[in-house]
Amino acid sequence: MNCTRRNFLIGGSTTLFLSGFFPKLSFASMQKKNLIIISLRGGMDGLTAVPVIGDKRLKKLRKKLILEDVLKLNSDFGLHPKLEIFHKLWQNDKAAFVHATNIPYTGRSHFDGQNLMETGAHIPYKEKTGWLGRGLLASDIVGKGLAISLPMPLLLRGVPQNNNFFPSPDFVETKLIDRIYDEFKGDHNELIKSTLDTIRQRPLSMQIATDSDDRKKLAQEAAKQLKDQNGPRVAVFELDGFDTHAAQGGVDGAHADELEEVNEIVKILYENLGQAFDNTLILTLTEFGRTIKQNGGYGTEHGYGSAILMAGGLLKKSQVYTDWPGLKKKELFEGRDLNSTIDSRAVYNSAMSMCFDKDPEFLRRKVFWGDDLPDLTEELFKI
Amino acid sequence: MSLNFFRRVAFGLSPSDKKPDDPLPWALNQLNTVPEFLWPGSIPTEKELRKKYGEWVYGDREVLRKKFKNDKNEYKKAKDDLRLKTGERYFELNEHAIRHYQTKYSQQPVFERFWLFWGNHFAISEKDFLAEFSTGPYQREIIRPNMVKTFEDMVQSVTTSWCMIHHLDNSESVGPNSRRGLESRDTINENHARELLELHTVSPSAGYTQEDVIQLAYIMTGWGHKWSRKNLETGDVWFDQEKHQKGDKQVLGVKYKNDAKRELAKVIHDLATHPVCIEFVSTKLCRHFITDEPTSEMINPVIEAWNKSNGNLIDIHKAVIKQAFKYNDTTHKFHPPEIWLMQLSRMFDLNIPLSSDRMNYNFKSRPTNRQGQLSWILREIGHSPYRAKQPNGWSDVEADWVSPELLLRRFWFASVELPRLVKSENQLHDFIINCLKNNFDNYESMASLIHQFRFGTTEKDLGRKFGVICNLPGVLKV
Repeated sequence: MNCTRRNFLIGGSTTLFLSGFFPKLSFASMQKKNLIIISLRGGMDGLTAVPVIGDKRLKKLRKKLILEDVLKLNSDFGLHPKLEIFHKLWQNDKAAFVHATNIPYTGRSHFDGQNLMETGAHIPYKEKTGWLGRGLLASDIVGKGLAISLPMPLLLRGVPQNNNFFPSPDFVETKLIDRIYDEFKGDHNELIKSTLDTIRQRPLSMQIATDSDDRKKLAQEAAKQLKDQNGPRVAVFELDGFDTHAAQGGVDGAHADELEEVNEIVKILYENLGQAFDNTLILTLTEFGRTIKQNGGYGTEHGYGSAILMAGGLLKKSQVYTDWPGLKKKELFEGRDLNSTIDSRAVYNSAMSMCFDKDPEFLRRKVFWGDDLPDLTEELFKI
Repeated sequence: MSLNFFRRVAFGLSPSDKKPDDPLPWALNQLNTVPEFLWPGSIPTEKELRKKYGEWVYGDREVLRKKFKNDKNEYKKAKDDLRLKTGERYFELNEHAIRHYQTKYSQQPVFERFWLFWGNHFAISEKDFLAEFSTGPYQREIIRPNMVKTFEDMVQSVTTSWCMIHHLDNSESVGPNSRRGLESRDTINENHARELLELHTVSPSAGYTQEDVIQLAYIMTGWGHKWSRKNLETGDVWFDQEKHQKGDKQVLGVKYKNDAKRELAKVIHDLATHPVCIEFVSTKLCRHFITDEPTSEMINPVIEAWNKSNGNLIDIHKAVIKQAFKYNDTTHKFHPPEIWLMQLSRMFDLNIPLSSDRMNYNFKSRPTNRQGQLSWILREIGHSPYRAKQPNGWSDVEADWVSPELLLRRFWFASVELPRLVKSENQLHDFIINCLKNNFDNYESMASLIHQFRFGTTEKDLGRKFGVICNLPGVLKV
């Protein structure tokens, strides 16, 4: 890698724009904008997904994990070959990456880290709601969240009336639902009654029985819902298995298998959203990256800085947005991990601001306790 | 008094339960002793299971990862074999069977409801392989015997249990001025200290500060697993003076003199007898048995019993039951999925769990579908008891359990799965009506509902019948 931290700062604009917030009321912004989050649990390795090209130190420390056939992004960064849909979208300014980024959490516990990536807070388990839920509530968007999981993810909690979609193994007869509904008519339980209303108003396509382990089917259905102008505006997917302590491998290793799943979901969303893909932003979430150095099992340990993968027509352009910290020993976090130079929450806050048409400053105060998070909407998104 | 009292404080009445003449004494008399486990199958000890846990993590981390570092497929295969050999896929299923069998047949079902409550108050959430090996025996061996002692006794046992220490990382906590801290520059991990304050005892209403959390974490330094190359993190809990922060500490305004391992018992005593703790836990008890938002009128008698008995759990439990009885006909409580399932199982004498003979495991092949059935149902209805997502356990309020998918899962279970669990001799209309009669004051309207729909006797009809009956307002709630 030829570039140093310095010329990145010159090349990529990380200056703060002090412009006021004026959402444009063009036709495009009248269209419903979708925000789709994919949680990558276990610690996604940013250096495997979006490797730096030609870094001798990385090659030396990861002898057994080196990728061949890396897809080229620009002179400095490549893309894991399993992320081919991102590469395709990159050609049309519909994929971008934020690199050397993480939530401000430097412990290395999955559980604390996952809790913080969802709450957006500093202290594990302290907050009981998610940043996305708070963001929706602050933006007066109620009843527009769709979780592709059975329990409501922490990320979406904090705003009422979300829907979730994770079909049971067998079909539930509509007649049965109607009968139970009738029996609740005389009851004073408003919550159950309104939930039964939501169930009864579900489109036919959601009334299916399927193997909920089949993520493809769920993604197809989610796309169908998101496409609907009156449907959900936010969807949350969950993937796990990124915790590759062993046999992480290069092109075909254990981490590659997980990236392939991300790729699959994004591909299905892209293919099924059609035109609505232009009004969609997909972004990933993870609790931390992984160590630079491979371990004795040719895997990696829990680290710090990682990358955010993004796709969708709401991106400003194809870019690897980073303030690259470098991989020399002294540039690493605690001498072992890629550093984080961008607080991931700045990206999330900006993404919500753009998708929900809300002032980023307002959201920052409402959702992230006024933490110092620069507004990146101009750099990253179409506004 | 309505019949729903038997579901409010227990699991309803089974066809073979004799209807108690006097419900309140019936309930109160169940709380004086710890009932034996009834499960006729294997009930391994916490220590035995921890040994298995050790074999599993050692085998994976120290052997297989190294052996198959170049071959993810071979690695995966060898790892799957190890899962079978160590029971990694089995023990949780067995724990669910032990638990369910107990709630189904116990002659002290009210005690069992409190057992579920405390296991969730001192929850072990999904982390590492705790659910697979350790959470079940923790519930049996740490929570249960303390239910006839004081609350303080329970907090002491829980706080120094291997399971909770591993769950909240206290083994990783090192006093920065301890010998180890000075050598390695390691420092404290506040997790366990924070949860001891926030979740287990005084709650945030006590107004503790970050400094209180740090000071409590200092007191707790040194309590951890005894690490060894062979057992890794699965060694017994001990107090390691080398990691213990030296000097006096102060928590919530109380000073604790430098006193090594004795500091912890002192601070737990103060926390567990703190008035805010008493109010917090009493409120949670009332929330579980009475209603989501209990009033101070409901809670105060429990607090009084607590103070009068110095935290004796038998007396506290009795006070809760008296309040539940008093407010039985004027309050509502929505039950979470696991309790709902246990009630259906007891009331209709369902064919779960699998018989203990068939639960026996060979440690060679994957557990059978039948062996996994109960755990699968629990997961599908959204309430796998030993896999709470966070250390605050499963929610006890209705709002968290009423989402479209979670309700649909109950409709699905009652209409599709439950009919397959009805014993063939119990499919008769009269049997079902009799079960309803045992448990519901308005059984006649339920019966006429069945009649009105003209359900037949095919499996599909049975499904429709149960689908409606099990999801009526008065069944989802008491």
